[in-house]
Amino acid sequence: MDNFEPVIVAFCCHYCAYTAADMAGSQRLSYPPNVKVIRVPCSGKVDAMHVVKAFEKGADGVYVAGCLEGDCHFKNGNTKAARMVAYVRRYMDEIGIEPDRLEMVTMSAGMGYRFAQVATEITEKIRRMGPSPIHAAIETGKAA
Amino acid sequence: MNTSNNRVLVIGGGMAGIRTALDLAEAEKNVILVDRAYSIGGLMTQLDRTFPTNNCDLCTLAPNLSEGSRQEHIELVTMTTVTDVKGTKGDFTVQLETAPRFINLDKCTACGECHKKFPEWVRFTPGLDHRAPTCMRYPQATPQAFSIDMAKCTDVKALMESCPAGAINPDDFGSRREVKCASIVFVPGGALFDPSHLDYLGYAAQADVVTSLEYERILSASGPTMGRLIRPSNGQQPKKVAWIQCVGSRGLQKGAGQYCSSACCMFALKEAIVTKERFGDDIETTIFYMDMRTMGKDYERYFLRARDEFGVRFVRSRPHSVLRPAGVDNLVVTYGTDSGPVNVTEEFDIVVLSTGFRVADDVRVLAGKLGLDLNSGGFPTTDGFNPVVTSVPGVYVAGVIEAPKDIPETMVQASAAAIMAAGDLAPAEKVEKTEADQELLPPEFGVVGEEPRVGVFICDCGENIGGVIDAGALADYAGTLPHVAVSRLQGHGCSRESMRQIQQIIVDEKINRVVIGGCSPRTHEAKFQEVIRKAGLNRYLLEIANIRDQVTWVHANRAEGATEKAKDLVRMAVGSVVRSQPLADHSLPMNKDVLVVGGGVAGMTAALQLADHGHKVYLAERSAALGGQAAKIHRTLEGDEVAPLVRDLVARTEAHANIQVITRALIVDHSGLPGMFKTGMQTGRQMFYRQIEHGVTILATGALPNRPAQYLLDECSQVSTQLELQALIAENPETVRTWDNVVMIQCVGSRTADNPNCSRICCQTAVKNALRILEVNPEARIFVLYRDMRTYGFQEEYYQKARQAGVIFARYSAEAPPQVKAVGNMVEVTFNDPVLGREITVNADRLCLSTGLVADEDGNDELAMIFKIPRTADGYFLEDHVKLRPVDLPVPGFFVAGTAHGPKLIRESVAQALAASSRALTMLARDTIDLGARAARVDRDRCAACLVCVRACPFGIPYINADGYSEIDPAKCHGCGVCASVCPAKAIQLMQFEDDRIMAKLEELFERSIA
Repeated sequence: MDNFEPVIVAFCCHYCAYTAADMAGSQRLSYPPNVKVIRVPCSGKVDAMHVVKAFEKGADGVYVAGCLEGDCHFKNGNTKAARMVAYVRRYMDEIGIEPDRLEMVTMSAGMGYRFAQVATEITEKIRRMGPSPIHAAIETGKAA
Repeated sequence: MNTSNNRVLVIGGGMAGIRTALDLAEAEKNVILVDRAYSIGGLMTQLDRTFPTNNCDLCTLAPNLSEGSRQEHIELVTMTTVTDVKGTKGDFTVQLETAPRFINLDKCTACGECHKKFPEWVRFTPGLDHRAPTCMRYPQATPQAFSIDMAKCTDVKALMESCPAGAINPDDFGSRREVKCASIVFVPGGALFDPSHLDYLGYAAQADVVTSLEYERILSASGPTMGRLIRPSNGQQPKKVAWIQCVGSRGLQKGAGQYCSSACCMFALKEAIVTKERFGDDIETTIFYMDMRTMGKDYERYFLRARDEFGVRFVRSRPHSVLRPAGVDNLVVTYGTDSGPVNVTEEFDIVVLSTGFRVADDVRVLAGKLGLDLNSGGFPTTDGFNPVVTSVPGVYVAGVIEAPKDIPETMVQASAAAIMAAGDLAPAEKVEKTEADQELLPPEFGVVGEEPRVGVFICDCGENIGGVIDAGALADYAGTLPHVAVSRLQGHGCSRESMRQIQQIIVDEKINRVVIGGCSPRTHEAKFQEVIRKAGLNRYLLEIANIRDQVTWVHANRAEGATEKAKDLVRMAVGSVVRSQPLADHSLPMNKDVLVVGGGVAGMTAALQLADHGHKVYLAERSAALGGQAAKIHRTLEGDEVAPLVRDLVARTEAHANIQVITRALIVDHSGLPGMFKTGMQTGRQMFYRQIEHGVTILATGALPNRPAQYLLDECSQVSTQLELQALIAENPETVRTWDNVVMIQCVGSRTADNPNCSRICCQTAVKNALRILEVNPEARIFVLYRDMRTYGFQEEYYQKARQAGVIFARYSAEAPPQVKAVGNMVEVTFNDPVLGREITVNADRLCLSTGLVADEDGNDELAMIFKIPRTADGYFLEDHVKLRPVDLPVPGFFVAGTAHGPKLIRESVAQALAASSRALTMLARDTIDLGARAARVDRDRCAACLVCVRACPFGIPYINADGYSEIDPAKCHGCGVCASVCPAKAIQLMQFEDDRIMAKLEELFERSIA
């Protein structure tokens, strides 16, 4: 896989990271197209099930982007999301997916530059890590 | 009455003007909002972040202006000045002059092509343009903020051709028009003091001497340095930054105002904290100040955090000069200290001048045209008990033009001015508009159980999308996806013509789900929801694939990746929309009655305003009579008698046909939803229970005078509070005439470990009473022992007057408070005078303690529990948003006014009461309570009543009902979805963000990559 293009799912809170992503757009800040955003009303809405499903389906990386600490529109959804991410990371090792493929990040709605920077950094990191081991499993499954 | 003049003219589109216009529009009053600038926002758009939350908040307010329902009441006129005003209250005639923008705003889509090609000719004021200092947390300025600088344009034809929408109009000559209005709200804001002529501060000569606003820009991510904090002279990161306070305020420099600018201490603190937050020990921060004036709600805590947590250094000194001697890289600040007569010199890399507010010259001219009386600083004079009322009936002011102030107080006055201006309007003819609109909407098609037929509409948005990817090919691709019945390229989807076409296609092709591939749902979802609703679809059968803001704008240099990603997003949207279900907007009928709790000045003012606007008001007062604390105060600092005000309010309140006063009322229970509350109370001597139904609640329960057992209070008859002193001066001047020495001690029971906040009112009370004593007894020697004199705004002039009259102000520190001892009939007060550097003992005939206010701990605690209202650490009710919603409480339908919110003066309480009524009126104008559709729904068959949702909900909404499963009231649900996320049985779904739709997006995304 010389030209490995990872697929990365970003669950973005409507009030901060999703707005920051739009902001990156209006500032024309470039980042890799590998990142696909799924909008949620609050990072606390993101369920372990959604994250696991993304990996199961073949995501090479997943991140949840919520508001800065103390800025959550719903008081503390972002800290709940951070706990969920920490929880899922613990189990990823057991099922053979590197926990570093999953991250929690925070930013404010105004941080277009940070959105672009995070998207770039995570894409590069995942690119270095190579394809998710799930792909091999899926291929094996198909062959069988 | 002629309806054409039955509206309010708002002059100035800063925060105050926006708030006033929004309040009026939401209360269904018509507004013309005039602003000189290309787009609205005013000074606040230039701030990086605001205290005390260190957030930027403009984004939460300004975009509201473009929301359709409000827009129909607001006519926004930018690049326009008022040239003349004639007429009187109820019938003003105003001349407006609009400068040419050279862009047709109806056609402009804000694509930015013109600006990209000809940046020199096109002004793009808010935001991204580094020349323009603006925060731009929200990507859409209002109106879309392009304008052409025709004087610079050298090739009009090329410029016109650069615009894909044909919006550039070189033949714009501007325009003049005459408008009529019933009342005027004058909110031009303040200008900042220009320190260029003060050579000893080095502003004109030294690049590293900047104003606080310039420093704000250097810190800001959207500023000229992209958020890198660097020295303007050499581009290096500074190691030491100093702030110099009171530049242009407190009469200190040539051309400065006599007043205190009120906001500068806080913004210097904020800038220092933000600097420390970002750079920690790498940058030292020092604030040179005279008095630290952190008298706002919880501001003292902010100051303490700056000092104790962030290590900001405070030097009480007014620096003598800021120079850069030859051969020295740094700025040399010379200043004196308490410790000796020798000046100290210290080097800094950046010196920030905290420049105060002034009235701009053109604003002064305009104030003259309005016929307003002005004070010595050029600010309009206002009513002693109502700061928004000017000398001209029908003309109101708010914000910095009334007096220098910060954003929360500006917002309060803006709302207050709105309701005052609304009071001058004739009753609007009842236009049954909402019903008429509803009649135009066709009934919704039933789609449940029908095979999904998705219509996909791809915008090319001119070159914005079409220039990067092949939008036509994308539409063709979408046509191949399952369930897609129609897929087409739609040009500018948001143009009126396109929306009409989309609507037609939905009807003709029997489309029952819609996907728009275009810009962000944040900005355009509501618009397209309206389109599909008009076509007979439920508005929630829509998905928007954000292929502009999150694809073509950010992947312009990777066409192939962008094309693939756009396909992914459209496929995900289609996958999700086929699973969407029609949802009902929750709505309930609105109860238009009001409950006001508290019968002091604030409560009565609010009750009278809302009663005058036709609402039935229940005014519940705990004690036996109306009047509150103000009844104990004789005169204000400015000399206005308080008793007539209170008498008049009580008489009008008791006589008003729409007000029912309930005294001896004790609130005991509360239930219901915003718009239909039920509050139970026990009333009268016999404590009969009664229940009141009301739509909104205003809490105006006041605060209590503090009475700490300190400095011999209640032990020695010569020791009293300021409240007792002022009664004595008024009622028993003979006693006052016998006094030789009077000592006042400030901050008794305030700014202490128990009560860390400032009581705000005491410094001006001390000045007031000192001046009053001197009126009665000019021979009296008065000592005011203070920590920081906080005579903000125009109070500063009285402070200076007291000093000139011989009142001795001596500073003490919290660590070394004055010592008092009763000696016979006298009180011996010993304190350390920092100027003389020695201990002084005064044998005082009277010791007077400035004890300030405290929250009514017991009363507020009860009410907070019953109404579920949060409180601050010191017991005051906590507003929803300290900056932008200072009178809205976090529970919808609740508003706060007066000292129940925090210590404040009578006129400030009145302004807040008016503001609370204005905010209440915006809610009361509605006939139904609209609750949206994004709410959590429980599947009772799956629910195991495990309580996880009950514990997880940040708002405490879910509960286990009598049938044994979790119930979530959609009217109370805030729609975050946390319960849905944690529910182990997946019994809870958040409408619009159901799990199967999120899963469908994931399935569709990996359709391609796996296949």
